[in-house]
Amino acid sequence: MQSLSKAEKSYIQVGLLSSPPSRSDGRSLLDYRSVALETGVAPLANGSARVNIGRNANQAGGGTEVVAASKLEVESIDDDGGVEGGRIVCTVSCSPSAYPHLSSGALDDIQQDMTTILHQTLAHPSLHPNNLSILPRKKSWLLNLDVLVLADAGNVYDALFIAARAALWDTKVPRTRSVEYKARKTTGTKPGGTGDMDVDEETPSGFDTRQIQNATDFELPDYWDEGEVLDGREKWPVCVTLNLVPPVHYLDATGQEEAATPLRLLLMFTFPPNGPADVQAMRMLGPGELKITQLKDLIVTGEKYAHDLYHSLNVKLKEEDVRRNQKARDRFEQHR
Amino acid sequence: MATQTGFDRRRINGPEESHPPTFQVEEDFESRRWKLGEPRRTRKSADIRPIFLQPGLIDQANGSAYVETERTKIACAVYGPRQSKNAAYNEKGKLNVEVKFTPFSCERRRAPMRDAEDRSIAVAIHQALVPSVRLELLPKSTIDIFVTIIEADGIEGCVASGTVAASTALADAGIEMLGLVISCAASVVGTEIWLDPTEEESRSSQGTLVLSCMPALETVTSVWQSGQIKIEKVLECMSACQERCIDVHSVVAQALVENL
Repeated sequence: MQSLSKAEKSYIQVGLLSSPPSRSDGRSLLDYRSVALETGVAPLANGSARVNIGRNANQAGGGTEVVAASKLEVESIDDDGGVEGGRIVCTVSCSPSAYPHLSSGALDDIQQDMTTILHQTLAHPSLHPNNLSILPRKKSWLLNLDVLVLADAGNVYDALFIAARAALWDTKVPRTRSVEYKARKTTGTKPGGTGDMDVDEETPSGFDTRQIQNATDFELPDYWDEGEVLDGREKWPVCVTLNLVPPVHYLDATGQEEAATPLRLLLMFTFPPNGPADVQAMRMLGPGELKITQLKDLIVTGEKYAHDLYHSLNVKLKEEDVRRNQKARDRFEQHR
Repeated sequence: MATQTGFDRRRINGPEESHPPTFQVEEDFESRRWKLGEPRRTRKSADIRPIFLQPGLIDQANGSAYVETERTKIACAVYGPRQSKNAAYNEKGKLNVEVKFTPFSCERRRAPMRDAEDRSIAVAIHQALVPSVRLELLPKSTIDIFVTIIEADGIEGCVASGTVAASTALADAGIEMLGLVISCAASVVGTEIWLDPTEEESRSSQGTLVLSCMPALETVTSVWQSGQIKIEKVLECMSACQERCIDVHSVVAQALVENL
């Protein structure tokens, strides 16, 4: 977070509190800057996404830029670390160019804080996908979600969660088939044999690829796509940051506005297909304080903003799926 | 172990590999039979564990406090306000919170190195305290708060009790504050709200919430929630926590008066 002089801070605060409120880029309090999203940006990852909030319209720079990528690894359950049913590990790293004014120690701390919030929210058992297991009691997938902050022009938490949701939405888990090895049945025939041909005798195969309890290993069947999507990918949460300058709150702060705001409330919501929204995580950041009634009102209104964000994000993610599958196939057809 | 990055040659290191002993404790045995939907066994759902609070336990610190709630035991020392060394001029003071787990504080031995969980608890305690301390009166200075978790019973309990201990220690050190910060945890189990959950209970819950507030001013300084809770349940949890915080506030105030 950049440091501002007292005069600059009060200038921004007075602008936010005046009626009608005025912000340096002419937005109203509840407007987002333009959000750009692209999935499938890292070809070697199992799922990836790149998010930019507030890129300049005329020149192609500026804005908060976040890249997220998920990578699957096979883990043995008997070794330390592996868990029945797979696990998710989230890591955030910040490029020094995103925070040029911070020392390397402070940068470590800030990325550790972001990692904690992202990991505690996304790796919670209530969101765990069901298809990260390979062989019961033997092997499972470890999903590493790595998020890289390339530039921070404010509202980095919303960008982190949008990128994480998009990357997880895009993640494909390879199909696996369990394999069992069976010792060949040793029949008590003499080496010379009886002279008959053993045509009718059942010869058990060394490979048996049915799903069996004592499967010892697995294989990856060849298939035209990279696998199946993560189970329950609709329920990954979105985050809205409410920036509080009592009595008003506003969304999508720029870097300067963030520095002039005493308190931020992070709200992560998930929206089940039927029924009301769930709060998935909540944090307060900054030295300000709130009355409990104000806090309760903010949670209820925050849900509405999160709902809008969630729906527009879903539309975009489906659009991206179409672009990358159907349209890419059509283009391939044309060129052939 | 020797190849591990966090290995410290200067310490007497424990064995390369260790496993916690497994006892057939009757409590554990019983809790395994607890099923979702049954009422809480050890206490009522809105009850918290009894609190023992002793300010001024550590002589060399400017202020200190020891808090114990059943199996959560936390010692906290406050040093300062003292001059910020090798830091740029800052017109506001700096509040520095460090949390350490003792190696024997958990089921599994914790290596005596700083790990990720220490910092996440320290950040939560810092956020709970920072609105209450009048840092604008202390330019160029630092207040160091060291929280040692001697025994842990659930991360939520550590955050809540750590906040109470740190706030008491700040008061014991005579540092100007707007009010005492009190913190209370809640967990949602089935349709019920259980306050001050143990590790066992928070593991079997859908979600947990820690609310930190200043009951004297009726303001909230921090809210820390994880898990999956419906909105109206969250609001219910917050009201329940705030109510309980008022009771804890009188316990803390009483302990501080007795220590004078």
